[in-house]
Amino acid sequence: MTKIQFNRKSLVRRYKYLMGIFIAAFLLLAGVLMYSFYELNEEYTSKNMELEKKELLVEELNQAFNDAFMNIRGYIAYGNPELKNTALQQETVIRELSTQLGEMADSDQDDEFRYQVDLFTEYYFVTTLPRSLADYESGNIEAVKETANGGATNRINSIKKKINDYRDEINKQIEENFQELTKIQTYVQVGFVLFVLVFLIILLRITRLMFSEIAKPLADFAFAADEIASGKDAVIEVDTAREDELGVLSVAFNRMIASLQDNEQNLLAQNEELQAQQDELQAQQIDLQEALETVKASEQKLNSRNELINKIANSLDKQEVLESAVMNMCSIIEAERGIISFIHNDSYASFGLSPEGVRQFRSNLANSGVIEKLQAQPNPFLTKRAAVQEEKGFHLTNMVSYDLFLPIFLTGEKLVAVMAFNRSDAPFDSRKMTEYEALAKNIGIALEKISLYEKSEEARRLNQDILDTIQEGVQLVNTKGEILQVNKNFCELFHCPDMLKQLAGCAWDEWIGLLNSSIVESEGFTEFMRKEITSHEKISSNDCHYIYKNINGQVFKVYCEGLFQGSTKLGTIFVHRNITKEFEVDRIKSEFVSTVSHELRTPLASILGFTELILTRELKPDRQKKYLSTIYNEAGRLTHLINNFLDIQRMESGQQGYELQKMELLPIINKVIDLQKVHADKHELIVEVLGGRDTVLGDEEKLEQALINVVHNAIKYSPEGGEVKLTVFEKEGNIHIEIQDEGLGIPPEAIDKVFEKFYRVDNSDRRSIGGTGLGLPIVKEIIQFHGGEIIVKSEYGKGSTFSISLPAYDTQNKFV
Amino acid sequence: MKRILLAEDEEILRMLINDTLEDEDYQVDEAADGQEALGFLEQQQYELLIIDYMMPIYSGVEVIAKVRQSGKNMNVPILMLSAKSQLTEQEKAMAAGADYFMAKPFSPLDLLGKVREILHDKNTI
Repeated sequence: MTKIQFNRKSLVRRYKYLMGIFIAAFLLLAGVLMYSFYELNEEYTSKNMELEKKELLVEELNQAFNDAFMNIRGYIAYGNPELKNTALQQETVIRELSTQLGEMADSDQDDEFRYQVDLFTEYYFVTTLPRSLADYESGNIEAVKETANGGATNRINSIKKKINDYRDEINKQIEENFQELTKIQTYVQVGFVLFVLVFLIILLRITRLMFSEIAKPLADFAFAADEIASGKDAVIEVDTAREDELGVLSVAFNRMIASLQDNEQNLLAQNEELQAQQDELQAQQIDLQEALETVKASEQKLNSRNELINKIANSLDKQEVLESAVMNMCSIIEAERGIISFIHNDSYASFGLSPEGVRQFRSNLANSGVIEKLQAQPNPFLTKRAAVQEEKGFHLTNMVSYDLFLPIFLTGEKLVAVMAFNRSDAPFDSRKMTEYEALAKNIGIALEKISLYEKSEEARRLNQDILDTIQEGVQLVNTKGEILQVNKNFCELFHCPDMLKQLAGCAWDEWIGLLNSSIVESEGFTEFMRKEITSHEKISSNDCHYIYKNINGQVFKVYCEGLFQGSTKLGTIFVHRNITKEFEVDRIKSEFVSTVSHELRTPLASILGFTELILTRELKPDRQKKYLSTIYNEAGRLTHLINNFLDIQRMESGQQGYELQKMELLPIINKVIDLQKVHADKHELIVEVLGGRDTVLGDEEKLEQALINVVHNAIKYSPEGGEVKLTVFEKEGNIHIEIQDEGLGIPPEAIDKVFEKFYRVDNSDRRSIGGTGLGLPIVKEIIQFHGGEIIVKSEYGKGSTFSISLPAYDTQNKFV
Repeated sequence: MKRILLAEDEEILRMLINDTLEDEDYQVDEAADGQEALGFLEQQQYELLIIDYMMPIYSGVEVIAKVRQSGKNMNVPILMLSAKSQLTEQEKAMAAGADYFMAKPFSPLDLLGKVREILHDKNTI
């Protein structure tokens, strides 16, 4: 078999090309066949239709002739003119059919047949029939018979026979046509089968080619690969001249096999070498394992040492250092148990010891001679002894126990603590005593550091406690504006008690913002602080102060003092002092002076003015009397004011004298009411006595003064008038006097202050009612001296009720 | 007869000033507090206002400020009387619009002389 040579380098393209040609040829030939078959069919159908049409025309022609013959014969027989007309009309039909036949004629036979028809038509309808009809109609029946017998009948029969023959011929042509078609169809079918067979053969050829060129080499590849995979030798035999994919694959596959075989050889060699190395490594591993155990033990010790050094270097907690020291030392020196104990105080830490053992060690330490030995020769020492029962555990044989004692010295070689460690399985390594001693020294240094820290912390805490006990807020700021220290009171003043520690180191921007948030009009404060912090002049605190108010209305005075070391300024100390009370006292004093001035000047103006008028003008007697009366009353008012000032001064200095006697209150109350009626033209003064006793032990004049003050206030602070009602009753051994008015009332915020000296309710928004602010404090002083109490209830805008209670008189009354 | 408004909460002082001025043919209207004074000022044209510093409802300073802002008496001379003779009070009164200041206690004849001087009356006592 000849191999296909095109597209040698690509199987895919080759088989694509082959299949393309195959399919194209198949489609082309199938198309030609289908078209031929279609044309054949069309030809047959057309020819058949032509013949059938001819046959139909012949049939109609035959019918027309028959109709003509029969109707003429009927006419001659029966004389019916309609039959004659019908027969004559057939001429036109016959001529028309003859014309159609002529148009369809395609052979000599057809032309001959038409000629015979036309010839007969001429003979019959033109020549013979008109004569016969004339004969008949003329009654010449014989002539008619003669015409018929003379040849007409024969010619009619002859034409009929020709028509039948021609029809038979057409039928015969139709039959032949069909036979021809059938024969050609058979040829076409046979040809198609042959065509399919040829293409099947070609397809088989292509498939065989594909099998031999692709499938077989692939199966060989698979087999070879399987063989190689199972470790056998395998060769792939493929035509070496092949340049297509399988050719390339086979070459590559063979190379791969060769490479694999080489690699296998190499691997086997390496494996042998590795085996040898593995044996060597196993031997080394055993050595390393042993070394690792040693390193791990060393690492453990180093870790313990590091932890010990780290803890004693970083921790300032004494107990933590002690515990770390004893635990890590046990690990480093491989002791089973150990203790570190101070000799002059209770500090200690232990590892592996029972509380009873610790107690025993500490109580025996002083008398065991260990301390004396360590003080005499400040080096560690070892002891060896028979193990005691508790140390033996489950061992029944005699055992030896080893103790190691290490001294802890502070600076100045003062022994402060002893460390003791014990092990029972093997002695301590005496070669490492220097190392143990060094560790003990480190522990001593750490303990000394802690001791110094504790002292420093104690000193710092003492300083802080001293600062915290100062009532003022103290703030130490360095020259950069950072806070170095504050006291507790400072933090409380600025609402930052939780920030006491955080404030130390706080930057200027941070703390000044915090302070400013609680200060009213903080710009001046900020400027003052900035100026004093940045100033390097030595200024006395007397010259350096600033007064500010916080958002709660409290007033502070901040003093400052520079903190100098030589001529170098280290910082500034600010002392924030709450001067709210002093400030308030100053304000009240100032207001008092103003009030007193006003209260005194008004009656003085009247007295002086009216006196001047009396002296300089000639006045009528009644006017003179009115002026003098006014002068008298104003002088009395002045006297009352001065008496008030004197009273308060005496009360404050404790020089107010009282003349106590048994007395009744109701007459005094009535007297007060009578006196006050003069000033109360708009008011209704009512006294209601509910019953009970009214006798007290008191100073009549002072109690009258107190009642006058309260009732006068009730009238004065009811400028629109209304009822002023005094209710008197006894309850639980006390005589109560309630003075109720319907006046202005007292604002809620002023209720608690009305009994304070110089305090005056600010009523300028309603009525500017004058006064010294001394009346009610004097009343309170008098009532309290008599062992009584005065309270006030008020509804702002609706009036006030002052309730005075005084102990009723009995023999048990005792007060000074 | 020149008309003067006297605003003073102390009744006795009102009587003293009123008697002093009326004897000299001045007509004096008396107001006992700032509100009453403002009522008079809305209704009546005056040639002089004598106003106390401390008064109920509206203080003398407040009355002066209101008068100076608008109304028929906005340009009338004002004499302020005060028991508070400190400089600050005087300054406040002047700042509010008072023209003259007299501290209590005062001489009624001095007051009369001041009134005449302000109203350019030639007669002197």
